[in-house]
Amino acid sequence: MLKGVHQKLEAQQTPAFFTRGASAFSRMVFFSALSISIMAVDARFNYLSQVRQAFIAALHPIEIVANAPGEWYRDVKKYFSAHNELVQENYALKQQAFEHQVMLQRLSTVQAENVHLRSLLNGNIPIQPKAVLGEISHMGRDPFTHVVVVNRGSQHNIKAGQAVVDSKGVIGQVTRVYPFTSEVTLITDKELSIPIQIERNQLRAIAFGEGNNTLDIPYLPTNVDIKVGDKLVTSGIDGIYPAGLAVATVTKILQNTESPFAKIVSTPIAGVGNHTQLLLLALPDAEEISAPQPEPELKPEVAIDRKKNKVKQNASH
Amino acid sequence: MRHTSLITVYLTLLIALLCQLFPWVGQGIIFRPDFMLVILLYWLLRAPNLCNVGTAWLAGLLVDLATGSLLGQHALSFTITAFVALSYQRRLVLFNSWQLAGYVFALLIIERSVILLLKLFAGNESPSLAYFWPIVTGLLLWQFMILMFGGLTRPKTT
Repeated sequence: MLKGVHQKLEAQQTPAFFTRGASAFSRMVFFSALSISIMAVDARFNYLSQVRQAFIAALHPIEIVANAPGEWYRDVKKYFSAHNELVQENYALKQQAFEHQVMLQRLSTVQAENVHLRSLLNGNIPIQPKAVLGEISHMGRDPFTHVVVVNRGSQHNIKAGQAVVDSKGVIGQVTRVYPFTSEVTLITDKELSIPIQIERNQLRAIAFGEGNNTLDIPYLPTNVDIKVGDKLVTSGIDGIYPAGLAVATVTKILQNTESPFAKIVSTPIAGVGNHTQLLLLALPDAEEISAPQPEPELKPEVAIDRKKNKVKQNASH
Repeated sequence: MRHTSLITVYLTLLIALLCQLFPWVGQGIIFRPDFMLVILLYWLLRAPNLCNVGTAWLAGLLVDLATGSLLGQHALSFTITAFVALSYQRRLVLFNSWQLAGYVFALLIIERSVILLLKLFAGNESPSLAYFWPIVTGLLLWQFMILMFGGLTRPKTT
């Protein structure tokens, strides 16, 4: 029996020193070439997104286990948060809800009026976007990208490209969807840009993330009418972000004499770095995005007549 | 040499992946050591008959899939690091623990540099010096592994 063990040990150790299959160098070359081709395929084509989705779905139970201690910690903290604090919060929230209700009463009348006026002017009626409530389950794994993972995925009808907002403003955009989770790239990420306008004077521009919790608005001349403290809101011309959502406030404007462009730095209004609940706004349907069809065969007078008729019709209602 | 089975290797690598997936809060994520890489290096240097360049590639691919980074990025860096690690593996018996730690330090630097290079090629912003923290914490994890599971040079018979 001892002899058997000895033989077993030898059988295990001999190959380690003498026969090891292909040399380490050739293996290295082979696997490096394989990784580089995978990288090229992943970066240029979308063939591998299915593989990734399947893997992430398979990994979901492990992820739940890995997230469990954090969840418990938060639950315990929630449980022990002082009674006084809760009472205060409750009071503040009730007050807020009351204020919002008063404002909402006005909103419904204003909205109805707006719809009515728009229909008079033959304009298209703005659509209320549908939304799904989600919660940030954890930060992205790479600390040098601005990505958070949200606990809603393709099982909850989330699609890549959806805008994500919190109670204060725009957080970012869904960039990758897995069955139970999805990745949201924050507006501060360098890869993300967002069409905006200055709330004060409706000046259109595009804001880019800078990778360090600020946004940059490049390609605007030095004499542009922007002041520190200006509020940037979404312009809505991309068809992804509904118009009028708060994005950022301008915090710094640098005039560089060497450059024809001003350097405009702004900080996001929404709690981009917070651990909060989020709203994932549904993408508008294709028909809704497409511009209203112009009617070239109608002569201007006819068009005006039509409009008058419509006004009459509305008046008679 | 203690008997290590293939199952031990893959089980520890799975645990390393779990540690990698653990939700690191706030600033902690900057200091997160590369669990997968350190565990992989440990087995590469200790049991090269169970674990080779191919294992490193597979581990790297798993990290890529799990972390959502560009697929093949960690696979490449782990492959190259594993090759360098293995090419001096036979001589490590002569190293004392400080020299070994220095060797592992160099390997961790190689891995981070390959990733940095790939990120720069992909057009990411050049990260701050904090990007290199995992090398230091990874070395600490290495020493911890040595303490827990024993060093590489263990006498065959007493």
